[in-house]
Order: sequence, then C-alpha cells, then structure tokens
Amino acid sequence: MEVQFLFSLMTGIFIGGVAGYLGALMITKRMALVGDALGHVALPGVALALIYGFSVSLGALPILILGIVLIWLFEMRTKLPMEALTGIVFTASVAIAFLLLPESQVSAALIGDISQVGFWDTLVSAILSIITLLVLKKIFYKIILANLSENLAKVEHVEVEKYNFIYLACIAVVVALGIKVTGSLLMGALVITPAAAARNFAHNLSQYSYGALIVGSLSCTLGILAFKFSGLPAGPLIILAATLLFLVSLILKRLA
Amino acid sequence: MAEPILRVRNLSVDLGGQKVLEDLDFDLNEKEILIILGPNGAGKSVLLRTLLGLHQFQGQIKWRKDTHIGYVPEGFDVSPDLPLSVKEFFQFKKASPQEISQALRWIGIEGSSQFLEKRLGALSTGQLRRVIIAWALVDKPDVLLLDEPMLGVDIHGRETIYDTLVRLWKKQDQAIILVSHEIGEVAKGADKILALDKKKIFYGNPKNVITAKNLAKIYGGAISL
Repeated sequence: MEVQFLFSLMTGIFIGGVAGYLGALMITKRMALVGDALGHVALPGVALALIYGFSVSLGALPILILGIVLIWLFEMRTKLPMEALTGIVFTASVAIAFLLLPESQVSAALIGDISQVGFWDTLVSAILSIITLLVLKKIFYKIILANLSENLAKVEHVEVEKYNFIYLACIAVVVALGIKVTGSLLMGALVITPAAAARNFAHNLSQYSYGALIVGSLSCTLGILAFKFSGLPAGPLIILAATLLFLVSLILKRLA
Repeated sequence: MAEPILRVRNLSVDLGGQKVLEDLDFDLNEKEILIILGPNGAGKSVLLRTLLGLHQFQGQIKWRKDTHIGYVPEGFDVSPDLPLSVKEFFQFKKASPQEISQALRWIGIEGSSQFLEKRLGALSTGQLRRVIIAWALVDKPDVLLLDEPMLGVDIHGRETIYDTLVRLWKKQDQAIILVSHEIGEVAKGADKILALDKKKIFYGNPKNVITAKNLAKIYGGAISL
C-alpha cells in the first residue's frame, strides 16, 4: 500500500514538473489550449490501452503523433486555420473513443488514474520526464528568441523549423504522460495552470520556467496527498491544487 | 583597394509573383555607412532581409568570407507580461556582464544592475530599440543592419536613438546599413546613400546625391535638408 502510494507520488511529481516547464513555453507561444485539444486527440489510444490493459501513455503517444500529422497535412492541403483543423480532429477522436470505451473505463480515460501505477510505469515516466525536461531546457531560449522575432533568430543561426519540430514532439510526449495523471479531459490544465501561476510572480525567465516546474510538481504532490486522505480521484484534486496555487500567485502579485 | 564586405549585382526579388526589387547594384566597404532611403513599400526591408538570406533572389549577393552580421529587425516588440529580463535577453548571445555593460555604454545607456534586471517588456519603446541595437553590437559584428530603428518610437525616444546612431557613426567600429523611409540629419553622416523605389532612384555620396531634385524623385515634392 505504502509503496503503491510512493509510485503514484513519484509519477505525479515528475510528470507535473515537466508539464509545468513545457507550459511556460506554450503560454509564451500562445498555444495554451493546444495541450487541452491534444489531450482529447489521444482518447482513442487511451481507450485501446484501457481495454487491452497496457499503459495509457503508450496507447496515447502513437494516436497523438497520428493526430498531429493529420492536422499538419490538412493545413498544407487546405490552408484553413490550424485551430479549425485541430477542432475537427479532436472532436472526431472523442467520437471514436466513445464508441470504443466500455462504460466502466470512462472515468479513468477522462480524469486519469494513477492509483495503480506500477514500478516500471513509474520508472519509465520518470526517465521520459527527465529526458524531455533536458531537451526542453536546451531549446527553451532558442524558442523564446524565435518567438520574439523569427527573422532575428534565423540571422543568429537558430534553425527555427527544427526547434519547432522538437518542441512539438515534446508536447506529444508530455501530453501522453500527463493523460495518465489527470486524464484527457484535464490534461490541458496540467500545462496551463502551473505556468500561468509562475508568470504571475516571475520577474525573469528562469524564475518563470523553474517556477512553473515547481508549481507543477507541488500541485501533483498536494493533489495526490489529498487523494490519499480523502479517497476522491487524484486527477481532479491535482488540478484543483494547481488552481489554488494560481489563486495564491494572484494574491502575491497584488501584494508585490 | 580591399575587398568590399558586401557586393550586390543585378539583384532582383519576386515575392508572391510580384517584382519587389529590380536590378540593384551596390557595394559596402569596411566601416562604411550606407543609408537606404525610399518611401513606404519601396522594398527596403525586403532588401535587408534578402541580404540576410531570408528571401529568394536572382542576381548576386556576395558577403566577404566569415562576415559576422548584427541585425536590428523592424518593429521588434516584446509583450509587456513576458518575464524576460534585459540580462537574460543578452544571454541568448552568451554575453558576459562586462560585454553587456560595454555594449550598453556604446549606445548611451548606463547598464546598472537594476537596469539589467528590468523586464524587457517594461522598457519604453525608445529604450527597447536601443537595447536591441546594443544586443546586435554585443558580439562585435563586422556589419550592422538596422531596419527603421525610429519607426513607432515617441519623440523623446527618437532623439535618444538619433544620439545612439551619431555615437555609432563616430565610433566607426563596423560597417552599417540603415534603412529608413525618412531622410533626417543622420543621412549627412553617411558615406553612401541608396534611394530606391523597387528600382534604384539614385546612389552615391550624400554631398553629391542629396539635391532638391533628387529628393523630389523619392517623395514627390520639394524637400531640403
């Protein structure tokens, strides 16, 4: 029992941290809702994983990649706005998922369930989170510069397309990991809320990015502790803990 | 004579099927100041971006080998809520604190530690523009490309940028290409002026080419300096 709880806690801390760090970039690039949309895109993969009993993240990742490629192809062919195409793909994914999902698994798919994560799942989540964090750390400044001025970044020999691709790949990995923790319905909050809270108190980029990481991990810790004591589902509790920290950051901002 | 830093021959640029620049020829020598003048929509910014390799072109653009370019883009803006400090902005270029304060001094800002901790988005437009010029200068480029540094800056800010440009003119540490849609006092300090409206209108030393007749060709009226 205690070991199981530690696994849940570790999984949450690692995934919450990297999601917060990624969120700092996503808010800056005005892509805050992308995490939310992709969380839905992944649902058919989550459904298959729950039916056949393998890791939710493993099911989510290929479907996410397929979804991103589809959106990208549609955009090339139609020149319609990206958000409209994302809307089409994510609602279609939700529709497919609900035809597949047995009723007993709906809640795990939508709001996550880390109460049963095992040793290997925890280990893989931790390793993937650390690798993604290191990659993001490496591209962070370059993405910010390209976001300030793409031309300026290119003149400084930043390969903007390459870094954008790596960034998208990181989003796919983090969404796949995050779905395990808070489910596809709440995944978006795991990237937005901690980063938004950090933005309220940060004066510079390192306070912002590491602040988001800490708030993300802290939200998961508080949420999972609350789950242990209340028995209520962990996913919603984690998001509410993040929201609470966001409100505290707003008060701190007022006082500053 | 030494090889020019930049040699441009028969340069033409098409964007979306439209000819934006046609048949331009000019050179830039070491430590020379070239001002590119022309009305709005004349293709000046496109010319700078083409020189930087950001657009396709026909003709020849030849930079001297290993030329290091600093660039100040047009309309560089920073969202006021982006938590990016002045110091961190310079860290994109891995500049040391000494190099940062030196670059800021070149453009007439005393880079106190308080200033370095400021958010980039909290600076006035004039200050921000000057910080970007310092940023472009910090790793000592051989040539500095400035795209409309005065545009969108309030009157007080324009004066400070003007002072910055005069400092750079005097210091003469690098070649400069300045793009502007208006002719001002700075033009007098230039070595060469290239006026264009898609094609060349005139090109040469300011003493010879800044005449009432020539200016009327760009702006369609009588203007004198």
